[in-house]
Amino acid sequence: MENEKVLEVKGLSKQYKKGVYASEKVTFDVHKGEIFALIGPNGAGKTTTIRMISTLLQATEGDALVSGHSILTEPEKVRKCITYLPDEAGAYKNMKGIDYLKFMAELYADNNSQAEEYVKRGREICELGDRLNDKIASYSRGMQRKLLLARAIMSKPDLAILDEPTSGLDIINALEIRRMIKLLASDGMSFLLSSHNMLEIEYVSDRVGIIAKGHLLETGTPAELIDKYKADNLEDVFELVVMKKDITGW
Amino acid sequence: MKFRTLFMKELREMLSTQTILMMVVSVVILTFAGKAMTNAVEDSAETMMDINICDLDDTEFTRNMIKFMTANITSLGGEVNTVEITSDDYAAELKKADVRNVVIIPAGFTESVENNEAATVRYVQRLNSLATLSNMNTGSQVAVEYLTAAVKQVVYNTKVAGGKLTNGEVSFLNEPIHLEESTVVADKSEDISASVVMSLCSAQGMIVPIMMFVLVMMSSNMILNAVSTEKIDKTLETLLSAPISRLSVIAAKMLSAAVVAAMQAAVYMIGAKSMMNGVLDNVSGNTGYSEALRDLGLTMNASQYVLVGLQMFLSILIALSVSLILGVLARDAKSAQTLTLPIMMCTMIPYMLSMFVDIKTMSPAVKYIVYAIPFTHSFMASENAMFGNTDVYVGGLIYQVIFLAVCMFMALRIFMSDRIFTMTLGGKRSKKAEQ
Repeated sequence: MENEKVLEVKGLSKQYKKGVYASEKVTFDVHKGEIFALIGPNGAGKTTTIRMISTLLQATEGDALVSGHSILTEPEKVRKCITYLPDEAGAYKNMKGIDYLKFMAELYADNNSQAEEYVKRGREICELGDRLNDKIASYSRGMQRKLLLARAIMSKPDLAILDEPTSGLDIINALEIRRMIKLLASDGMSFLLSSHNMLEIEYVSDRVGIIAKGHLLETGTPAELIDKYKADNLEDVFELVVMKKDITGW
Repeated sequence: MKFRTLFMKELREMLSTQTILMMVVSVVILTFAGKAMTNAVEDSAETMMDINICDLDDTEFTRNMIKFMTANITSLGGEVNTVEITSDDYAAELKKADVRNVVIIPAGFTESVENNEAATVRYVQRLNSLATLSNMNTGSQVAVEYLTAAVKQVVYNTKVAGGKLTNGEVSFLNEPIHLEESTVVADKSEDISASVVMSLCSAQGMIVPIMMFVLVMMSSNMILNAVSTEKIDKTLETLLSAPISRLSVIAAKMLSAAVVAAMQAAVYMIGAKSMMNGVLDNVSGNTGYSEALRDLGLTMNASQYVLVGLQMFLSILIALSVSLILGVLARDAKSAQTLTLPIMMCTMIPYMLSMFVDIKTMSPAVKYIVYAIPFTHSFMASENAMFGNTDVYVGGLIYQVIFLAVCMFMALRIFMSDRIFTMTLGGKRSKKAEQ
């Protein structure tokens, strides 16, 4: 992991109605080659924060810089540096897997040869072999997820934002994906993950941010947090932090 | 017990809010269309018995006939109006007299009766629309019946009283009146019966609205599914987080749908043209009807097909932009289906009305409500082109362009903002989107 910041989130807020924040003054950084995971209960504001960083939603306060580009003033430059894999995302079912990779590669690449390079990498990552010539409609959920994940990382973005990257995958496939994420991170790619799977987060992430009711309550490495809360594992830390928020309103 | 449980579960699933809503909407549409048609029929019925008559013979016999006819028609609630026709330019004469039809008793009528020859009567009718209920008038038949009765009365009084009838007089009594008919469309007139014109044009009058209905529904379904599926499958999030502008995404969707719609419109118009040519050539090949229809301007030429195609294309673009907005509201496949309802309703009302009534002649309140539906103008396009209603056509075209611009602006506003993810059916924000 290097010290260079790929993502700087500075007081990012999203207000839907007056006084109702889906996400409030969220601040954290992700460094080059780092895997940062946002964890929190349902409705905590993870997806809103991720969507703001992905330039899908507009922040009502604060800003975030991706590779030095502001999500508010340079959204297209930000999109050039990131890829986003939403939770439960689908692909175009009438397309063949290979055509989907080509389609997405052409959106990210600056020229044909770069697009071809992305597709080649995508084929290797997804490991779907000849099934890439079949329509996506015929894929199992796991195959589809692998294709989407390959799409998200084939262009080697500065920051890959993955919402529940292993959801719907069996243990073997999930393990493969986690190993791949760690491998790519060691190669310099940064990741912002969101997951409900605490074991996965504990295994894969370098640092963790615990978010509840729109507030980022804790950040640190899993080991630091476990030590701080004198817990057995990250799941216990999560429970303690979220319960503390519920009881004290902190 | 188990069957009842199963039955109730199936019933609950099938009798969804969407199904109930569709039934309610259908009732509303049919009631509205029925009310509008009832008003149109009532208006026609009021003047159905009225006779406009022009007496060019102007003899004591014809004057007495008209008096006799007036007395009888008045007792039945109708009116006999005397109008002046001074030339064979019936289009101009009807316009000058401000009537839609006239029965002309030509000069020499009395002389023909006296010579036991079938006396000619001409009936001229203006067609303003091809809608089935818009040309209801029994004036010609009533007039001919009264004229026949009057002639027979005279013959009985003068000839029968005088003794035995000759063979010629007997055959004359069987058919004392020979009816000649002319039809006026815009500024043209031809010697052809209005009912024949209506029959020959009914296929064309039916086909264009059906095509229009199918095209609007198909294209709106196309874009609605494209947007709602992207939203439901979350491919939209992937697409919009890619390094491309949202304007490019929306423009690509609209353009591709417009290209497909334009292709469909062109194919349908070519099909309609060849079908109408086939109908006219086969049905009226040897009767001269085909030429008469062409001379009346009731067979569309290439430029008229272009005008109709243009309005059809505009309607499709409007349907696309409205569907784009509606597609954003979809939460799931079922709600996406429900969202086609407003478009279906706005297409069905003018579709049904244009087939049966002349929308231009409806009461102002109903007319402007129907005119406010942008698709109405496309349903009326072929009729406007054929009947030379340039003002109505151009007005409709301008309205459609403005409506399209507003819809496009709204669609762009939604697509460029957070609403693309947060808006759902009923205008409420998706809770999931707020997480």
